[in-house]
Amino acid sequence: MSTRTFFIIGLLALLVFDTFAQVCFKLTAIHAAPLAFDWAWFIRAFTTPWVYCSILGYLCAFATYMTMLRRIPVGPAFAAAHLEVVGVLVVSVPLFGEVLSWVQYLGAVLIMAGVFCLAYGESNYTPGGTTKERH
Amino acid sequence: MSTTTLIVFLWAVTLATDTCGQLAFKAAAIENREAKGWEHWRHMLRRPWIYLGATAYIVEFVAWLAFLSTVTLSEGVLLGMAAVVTVMVGGRLWFKERFTRPRIIGVSLVLVGVALVGLGGMGA
Repeated sequence: MSTRTFFIIGLLALLVFDTFAQVCFKLTAIHAAPLAFDWAWFIRAFTTPWVYCSILGYLCAFATYMTMLRRIPVGPAFAAAHLEVVGVLVVSVPLFGEVLSWVQYLGAVLIMAGVFCLAYGESNYTPGGTTKERH
Repeated sequence: MSTTTLIVFLWAVTLATDTCGQLAFKAAAIENREAKGWEHWRHMLRRPWIYLGATAYIVEFVAWLAFLSTVTLSEGVLLGMAAVVTVMVGGRLWFKERFTRPRIIGVSLVLVGVALVGLGGMGA
């Protein structure tokens, strides 16, 4: 598998896990509302299954990211991981009825363009994980 | 300590811990290239890097909360995006990662994009 393909598959998996975790986090917050710094709020938050789904999502995202770092330079990988922002924006509209401004749509497009550039840039790698640089 | 000094100090702590965490995770991921699957994870768990990364993120979590109590969320998100640059520089210094044109353009677009998403959400 070429490094570019590896990068793209890893990013898509990261996008799914991160977005899933954030959505579950939001559902946990909704379930635990109203916010109060007391035991009642804590118990409400940790007795909903969503909080454990969120933790599972984060663990899967972490495992995916660590796997990506084996072959992808940390600078581009860290920047590209911000694709999560786009995933969360997209699902927040139908799931939570959030309204997005045109500035946010523009930002999402720029993030996707940036990630595309980063994925394209990994064509400098040769298939099989051998790279032209030490990382 | 003046308010400005405190803000700069907390910002520096969040940037330093974010960068250290990312670089430590990278060091953990590439230390034993031959290991596969669970063997790789067992190796990582026996070495200090992954714990250093996790510790850095715990410290960053606290510092970020304190930082957000001194600036607005939009300001915090904007200032926090500097971590993308410091991680790039850290990767260059530690792992000899190159600043290629697609990487510079890609990272710049992501920086502007995340800033716009953060700022655009403030008025919504």
